Amino acid sequence: MKSILEIRELRKTFPITSGVFRKSAGVVTAVDGVDLDIRPNETLGLVGESGCGKTTLSKMILALEEPDSGSIRFEDVDVVRARRSSLSQVRRGIQVVFQDPFGSLNPRRKIGSIIEEPMIIHREGSRAQRSRRVGKLLEMVGLHEDILPRYPHEFSGGQRQRICIARALAVNPRLLICDEPVSALDVSIQAQVINLLVDLQKELKLSYLFISHNLSVVGYISHRVAVMYKGRIVELADAPELFENPLHPYTGCLMDAVPEARPKKSLDLMSPRRGGGEQVFPDPSSGCAYRAWCPRAEGICAKEPPVLEEKGKGHLVACHLAV
Amino acid sequence: MVNTGLIDKKANERTMDDHRRTCVPEDRDILVDIQDLCTYFYTPEGVVHALGGVDLQIGKGRTLGLVGESGCGKTVLALTILRLIPEPPGKIVRGKVLFEGTDLLTLDQAAIREIRGNKISMIFQEPMTSLNPVFTIGFQIEEVLMLHQSHRAPTRKQARELAVELLDMVGIPYPGRRIDDYPHQLSGGMCQRVMIAMALACRPSLMIADEPTTALDVTTQAQILALMGGLKEEMNTSILLVTHDLGVVAQSCEDVAVMYTGNVVEHAGVEDLFSRPLHPYTRGLMRSIPTVEARRRGEQLHAIPGNVPTLRDMPKGCTFHNRCDEVMDICRRERPPMFRPHPDHCVRCWRYANG
Repeated sequence: MKSILEIRELRKTFPITSGVFRKSAGVVTAVDGVDLDIRPNETLGLVGESGCGKTTLSKMILALEEPDSGSIRFEDVDVVRARRSSLSQVRRGIQVVFQDPFGSLNPRRKIGSIIEEPMIIHREGSRAQRSRRVGKLLEMVGLHEDILPRYPHEFSGGQRQRICIARALAVNPRLLICDEPVSALDVSIQAQVINLLVDLQKELKLSYLFISHNLSVVGYISHRVAVMYKGRIVELADAPELFENPLHPYTGCLMDAVPEARPKKSLDLMSPRRGGGEQVFPDPSSGCAYRAWCPRAEGICAKEPPVLEEKGKGHLVACHLAV
Repeated sequence: MVNTGLIDKKANERTMDDHRRTCVPEDRDILVDIQDLCTYFYTPEGVVHALGGVDLQIGKGRTLGLVGESGCGKTVLALTILRLIPEPPGKIVRGKVLFEGTDLLTLDQAAIREIRGNKISMIFQEPMTSLNPVFTIGFQIEEVLMLHQSHRAPTRKQARELAVELLDMVGIPYPGRRIDDYPHQLSGGMCQRVMIAMALACRPSLMIADEPTTALDVTTQAQILALMGGLKEEMNTSILLVTHDLGVVAQSCEDVAVMYTGNVVEHAGVEDLFSRPLHPYTRGLMRSIPTVEARRRGEQLHAIPGNVPTLRDMPKGCTFHNRCDEVMDICRRERPPMFRPHPDHCVRCWRYANG
């Protein structure tokens, strides 16, 4: 099937500056040669720890950040080089829902005008058509039309996230980027929003890029899952396959670290080699970025950076030692 | 407005003798015994019953997990124990917090200050913002030692040595060098380690940890939880772990109390609670955790319908009745007291009125 979004060899670095004159002191590679495809009507989960480049990647897809090299194609439009009319087409096709439902709604505007705004920006419909559409959107996300003249502060986190979803759907996007959409919500409310996203996908044939650090949420909602580590995709597979048979040692480490709601899974928590995101980088120019914490690292890991290769049906992994 | 306090008191009186103090086995030492604790906030919009008669015991050397959704009063309970509730608008209306036999609520300011940091210490959710950015972490740990152990009066030099030891204990590499770092030079996980070092500096008998790992990555979270567990064993400290994550509770606690709208609705040992959750709310919470297996079976996630009622406008009777799928008539009329259907397992639900 043809992909709706195609990312090839994407790289992005940020300069580190120091001192008053902002002298350049090196670079941070946030996204380092990422290849990724999202198929129509599919949820691609993207997991990784903070600072691994998840958000930078999503910003580049939204054309909010310009990559250093590589390409992003959305439905045959080159997102990186798109200008004006084609960029507006991209922005209509890709919408986003953010993590913090408190910070992403303008507190001084009424719900009705918040949801209508994307349609005004993209010059869609007459006033009457727009207001009919707003009513329809609210119904889709499970809210009542009575809330139109109210302000964001009157709503709980879960309701606000529904409002954010309604706003994102206003211009009929094909791809929705969900950047940690349920992390700020309580468990019982989280389940409501996840169910809503699953239902909307079936109804509207949407594709999702679902970014989260919560493996159990990603595992539940995604068809395929990509694991990101220090700017690279280290493993990519169908969700059940990945959870049953993780090939990359980092994926295994991530899964072990998730506290399961079952007492005493007896984790080997104290293992000193357990690599978190907080230690120093080994020299990233050579070899595998994970080698310093990898329990299985061998000589080759320090010499050659592993490439993402297919090991088994649709299961891609970037590790020299995976079989 | 319904006078929730009154109804609750009546309910408690009736069952006080049989049920109140029974969740912890009799042979176990109790460090903190909280009895009928009520904290209200007096706001222009009305009285908020943040804690509506909480009964809770923390065993010596044990970890009690306090779970619940935002706004259920977890943090208020933690702050009430330390008497850190801002007054006004807050007020501890009634109840007792017996800590090693003394009621913390009757102590004067000087006496409670002796307890804080010394006998009971606290760590917070955001390690980055709870450390002072303009002082080195060494200075901040030394400050704790010099302030709270004034009777033993370590000199600056001794305090520094102790601080290095503490940093080493919480697993910070090169403690002798890192001691002169400022908080911004450390990662979130490292800052939380520093917070734990500060909290344990005076070897407290109780450490209150309010969502200590919520702001951290999963791998870092696993490290911090393991560290807290290890140090607890070593120092025989009790921990009150406030969290919204049932997974964290399952992995790191021995006892669990589930809170809903300012009250403990279920209290049991961790194995008991997870293998046999009794309160419909607890069961709902557990079923709403997403898993890969659930999706493969094509199941929809179980979501508890509705929202948590605001504490200002609580429903009559059981505060959970309008979200509960097992609601009975009595639930709408009267607030349930704590029942004890099994030994060491208490639940605040009318379903268990007959054992």
